[in-house]
Amino acid sequence: MTENEMTSNESTEPTPSTETAASSPDPSGDPLIDQSIDVEGTDANAGETGKPVIESRDLNVFYGETQALQGIDLAIPEKQVTAMIGPSGCGKSTFLRCINRMNDLIDAARVEGDLYFEGKNVYDADVDPVALRRRIGMVFQHPNPFPKSIYDNVAYGLRIQDQTEDIDDKVETALKRAALWDEVKDQLDKSALDLSGGQQQRLCIARAIAVDPDVILMDEPASALDPIATSKIEDLIEELAEEFTVVIVTHNMQQAARISDKTAVFLTGGELVEFDDTDKIFENPDSQRVEDYITGKFG
Amino acid sequence: MATREPETGWHGEDSDVNHLRGRAFEATCLAATAFGLVSVLLLLLFVANDAFRPFSADAGWLATYAATVLVPLAALAVYYYRLDEPAGEVAYVTSGLPVVGLLLTGGFAVLFIELLSVLEWFALLISLVVAGGLIAAHGRLRPKAALERLAVVLLAPIVTVFGLPPTSFNRFVTDTAAALGLDFGLYYRVISLREAIMMLPFVPTDWVMLLLTLVLPVAGAAGWFVEQRRESRRDGLAVVGLTTAVAVVGVVAGPLLGIGTDVWLLVVTFAVLPLGVYVEGVLRRGEGVRGLAFPVAAVLGVVVGSVVTGALGFAGPDPWLDWGFLTSATSRTAADAGIYPAMVGSVMMIIVIVLTTFPVGVGAAIYLEEYAPSQGLMGKFVTLIEINIGNLAGVPSVVYGLLGLALFIRVLQWPQGSVIVAGLAVGLLILPIVIISAQEAIRSVPDSFRQASYGMGATRWQTIRQVVLPEALPGILTGTILALGRAIGETAPLLMIGAAASVRLAPNSFFDVASMMPRQIFSWSSELDPSFRHGVLAAGVITLLAVLLVMNATAIVIRNRYQRTG
Ligand SMILES: Nc1ncnc2c1ncn2[C@@H]1O[C@H](COP(=O)(O)OP(=O)(O)OP(=O)(O)O)[C@@H](O)[C@H]1O
Ligand SMILES: [Mg+2]
Repeated sequence: MTENEMTSNESTEPTPSTETAASSPDPSGDPLIDQSIDVEGTDANAGETGKPVIESRDLNVFYGETQALQGIDLAIPEKQVTAMIGPSGCGKSTFLRCINRMNDLIDAARVEGDLYFEGKNVYDADVDPVALRRRIGMVFQHPNPFPKSIYDNVAYGLRIQDQTEDIDDKVETALKRAALWDEVKDQLDKSALDLSGGQQQRLCIARAIAVDPDVILMDEPASALDPIATSKIEDLIEELAEEFTVVIVTHNMQQAARISDKTAVFLTGGELVEFDDTDKIFENPDSQRVEDYITGKFG
Repeated sequence: MATREPETGWHGEDSDVNHLRGRAFEATCLAATAFGLVSVLLLLLFVANDAFRPFSADAGWLATYAATVLVPLAALAVYYYRLDEPAGEVAYVTSGLPVVGLLLTGGFAVLFIELLSVLEWFALLISLVVAGGLIAAHGRLRPKAALERLAVVLLAPIVTVFGLPPTSFNRFVTDTAAALGLDFGLYYRVISLREAIMMLPFVPTDWVMLLLTLVLPVAGAAGWFVEQRRESRRDGLAVVGLTTAVAVVGVVAGPLLGIGTDVWLLVVTFAVLPLGVYVEGVLRRGEGVRGLAFPVAAVLGVVVGSVVTGALGFAGPDPWLDWGFLTSATSRTAADAGIYPAMVGSVMMIIVIVLTTFPVGVGAAIYLEEYAPSQGLMGKFVTLIEINIGNLAGVPSVVYGLLGLALFIRVLQWPQGSVIVAGLAVGLLILPIVIISAQEAIRSVPDSFRQASYGMGATRWQTIRQVVLPEALPGILTGTILALGRAIGETAPLLMIGAAASVRLAPNSFFDVASMMPRQIFSWSSELDPSFRHGVLAAGVITLLAVLLVMNATAIVIRNRYQRTG
């Protein structure tokens, strides 16, 4: 069994390395999208590949001296759910923050390498992170509603982005999609801080989807939720994936297996060990370490 | 089984947990606290006794008022505390509101007597409203033009209040200063709306202008508040209508009773209206209605007391601190001496400080916390600045006086001892304190709020404006008010910049020479007549402390208010 794994691992392992190899001789940046489609193609499961909308190339992140991400190459397909799993501290949140440049806010953080969103390197000097974040919404690991009313929380993004037409309707729709409307519809003026932790997390989801971003990054959105709310959120995520690209970090393997189309496995030290179709990762991973992690032998 | 006592246990006296040192430490701390509190209390009692001289009254007088006022109120207080806490809160608010309202009334009355005519106030307010209207209209018409909007926001108030300069900027500054000094000498320039209103041949009478600019806006705000609270438009309109009716009736009936119309309008706005809305709310909710007995008992007690003492011929005390002291200027004879001009001087000084120190201090704090780089060479420089702001907070106040003397009087040639110089010198003194407390308030806003905001695609300005400042504002206000408390008691800088030892007339403009409360108290302390040094001085100190107490209470109320809802 182990030997079998090792061999199969070796046979397909070059996936990341081919990508780096391909990128280093041709750093022009333009033909990236075609290249990565090729890379996807070599992954054998060509049936359901979406066009990659986010692509990282040899992405390294440092917090001061310590390196949190090591040479990450990853292509996240459009309008699909991509899950990131891995043990605590392996850099999943860090990677998520690279995508919408939230690492800019951390003084100690330094990002090297490229990250393309719709073919544009978001670390280029002419990219305004504010404009980027309006396209890429985020739900944080810990619920962080504003100390305002429930209504104002959901309306916040709409107001700052000047999308003030039909604001009531948009708020209602967002709350309904986040499975919170029934609980709060009579108390929209109540402070969001008076909600329970799980309700707060759903409020944050509503807040993020209210502005209709292209991509939604979710950092363990269901960690504070009960099974019913979790399944509602999972339904929501699947529904969202029809319109949006969803990237979700989770510690829940079953969740990743249930809802995601692609799965990236990070392991300690900040390396991306394997990135492939979810079925493949969970049924027949190339790497022994990934199998160990998924089956709970490690991590 | 659970109640059985084993001979040697882990729980009893012979356990190996040692509490002795902890108990000794606790007792020492308690002793230190008690010592501090008791000595301050004794000092206050001593000064208050000098100021009020309660024992100069007949024993009968004291006994009468004790029976009619003290005993009933104390009984009520005990009753509320023990049995009816909501009523206690009602009693507290209904007694406090009129006091605060009357203080505000007094403040505005002084404003109209000393600083502005009602017409000037009217013109200023109308100009500001028009400026606000211009800004709003621009926002409506061209919501996207950000740079233009900035220009409109900055220029509209300046144009409506000060007008346009002829050619050079220099001229404009002169005008601004002149306008601040309320000296409306007109230069060759575009006249402002405010000045145009002032030159109108026909102006409404004072009370109409006050009704329009003070009573109606406040009543409107109260009405809006009631409407929001009860979701009943009718109640809101009723508030506005009733207030206006009471105000107008008073204007007509007031002169018959000897109440000035202006004073009546101020009382209606600041005391009657808030109290009325509150009492009506209490009656409607029916909770704590018994609390209303407290203010009623207080008023009744005073009335009955004065009738009884009058009938029996008991003489009251002869306090140093009385109405005459608060409303008259200092004098050669101790009995006639008062603190009014110094009080006006202090208030005007506080106005200067608030207008200058608050924006500068809060602006600096926002910059240092939200914008300043924290890394690299610039980061080091910023840290250096922050450390030095901390040091400046500890610089002795005489030094600030010297700075004021050199900068404002020697260099800028402003009049020695004027309100503006005093305000700026003392403002510089508390600037570091304002910056530091505002920084602390801003820092205490959790980072997760900022992240949430940035994550939504907010700009830094939007994040500060919508998330950070609203959260930090109570803390900023509390810190600033406490710093203002320090400012109002500062004496050394006033001595250095040559504030008047005693003035007969309250200042009428910010460039007038004035005295301030601590300066006046200081000069009383060196009078030869001992009744100055004991009586008048004590009265001045108590007045100053009362002002301080009101300011600090305001700070505490603000803090508690926002903590509850935040
Ligand atoms: N602000 C920061 N400053 C310094 N180091 C950080 C910071 N944030 C994260 N790190 C470090 O970077 C590494 C990756 O952290 P990250 O938060 O990305 O992990 P994670 O995979 O999201 O973990 P978890 O599953 O527990 O959320 C950790 O070793 C962590 O100590
Ligand atoms: Mg994380």
